[in-house]
Amino acid sequence: MFSKSVLNLDPAAEANRISEFIREMVVRKFKRKGAVIGLSGGIDSAVVSEICVQALGRDRVLGLFLPEKESNPISLQYAQQHAAKMGVEAITVDITDHLESFKVYERRNAIVQAMFPEFDGSWRFHITLPQDLLEKDRINYHTIITEDKGGVRRQERISGSDWLAISACQNMKQRIRMMQMYYYAERINYIVAGTTNRPELMQGFYVKYGDGGVDIEPIAHLYKIQVYQLARYLGVIEAIIQRSPSPDTYSLPVTDKEFYFCMDYEVLDILLYAHKHGVAIEEVSKETGLKPEQIKRAFRDFAAKERATWHLRQLPPSLLEH
Amino acid sequence: MDLNTVIRQFIVENFLFGEDGHLSDEMSFLESGIIDSTGILELVSFLEEKFGIAVADEELVPENLDSISNVAAYLTRKIGSAGLPV
Repeated sequence: MFSKSVLNLDPAAEANRISEFIREMVVRKFKRKGAVIGLSGGIDSAVVSEICVQALGRDRVLGLFLPEKESNPISLQYAQQHAAKMGVEAITVDITDHLESFKVYERRNAIVQAMFPEFDGSWRFHITLPQDLLEKDRINYHTIITEDKGGVRRQERISGSDWLAISACQNMKQRIRMMQMYYYAERINYIVAGTTNRPELMQGFYVKYGDGGVDIEPIAHLYKIQVYQLARYLGVIEAIIQRSPSPDTYSLPVTDKEFYFCMDYEVLDILLYAHKHGVAIEEVSKETGLKPEQIKRAFRDFAAKERATWHLRQLPPSLLEH
Repeated sequence: MDLNTVIRQFIVENFLFGEDGHLSDEMSFLESGIIDSTGILELVSFLEEKFGIAVADEELVPENLDSISNVAAYLTRKIGSAGLPV
């Protein structure tokens, strides 16, 4: 009988298992002296850093805060509070100058300005997908929502080519963070620990050679609600547990749900599990209360995102094995 | 040139590098993996420019855009079959 309880963890046992994995990797496989982790102020990096401390000791974990001018200020504040609570050394590297030097803001804002001529860079904006994924058959498209200094919002659908160009700019944020993490890790012979969770991995919600550019992925086997279970067990600060998950790469706050998944993690996780394990739609419907057509829509969206991002989960294809 | 041919030509040139392959008029672009949702938006830009139409957000549904036949039927409903600048 299919049940949501399939995602329940024994958090102590799971933390120990991941801790063993980290020790095995750092000490025996990579033969390094510790781990660097980017602390975003979100739940994933909080959990990974807690387990790194459990595995390696607080003196062998280096945290990096990597904000830029469009980051939500509360993210840095929460990340600092959490690093202080763990007692790990943490360094702040503001990556705004790097992004400026690559003309990331300038190039991206030019695209936004072409859509909204009054846009002057002081406005905030974010990008969302339509949130009616379960309610109707539709095609994913991105909408840009701007907010001027007076709080007035405007929105417009983004063309495919503009979306690609904006993404190329935005992805530079994670890629520059990756470069900084490797700089700090290599100079003291540490590994870089990643924070990608299972829904992100399965659905391709990370940046190739950005936040996906790491040495190990300690929580890539965990669904998001399992990450929350571990967070509570590990004593992650409540402010981080309570905040809505967000990519935090747009000046106007946006949640993971609004930006990519189009459903809450509680629903997403169980549907992804059911999709992956081929659970019959009637059983999923009985357990979740969703109608069969809603589940089918979700499954179609999962398959489409998985197809579009297959290359993220592979080494670059080559003729080596042919 | 009929609508199906115009749409097919765009799909083949832009997404299949000129190789027609086994693309049938009824084949779902999304489920066959020929085009992803970003590609559909590229197709939408093409339709808007080529036929001088505005595709509304609520029209972005598979029934209108997810195969050559669906696109042709959508265009016919949208602007009628007469006077198309094809």
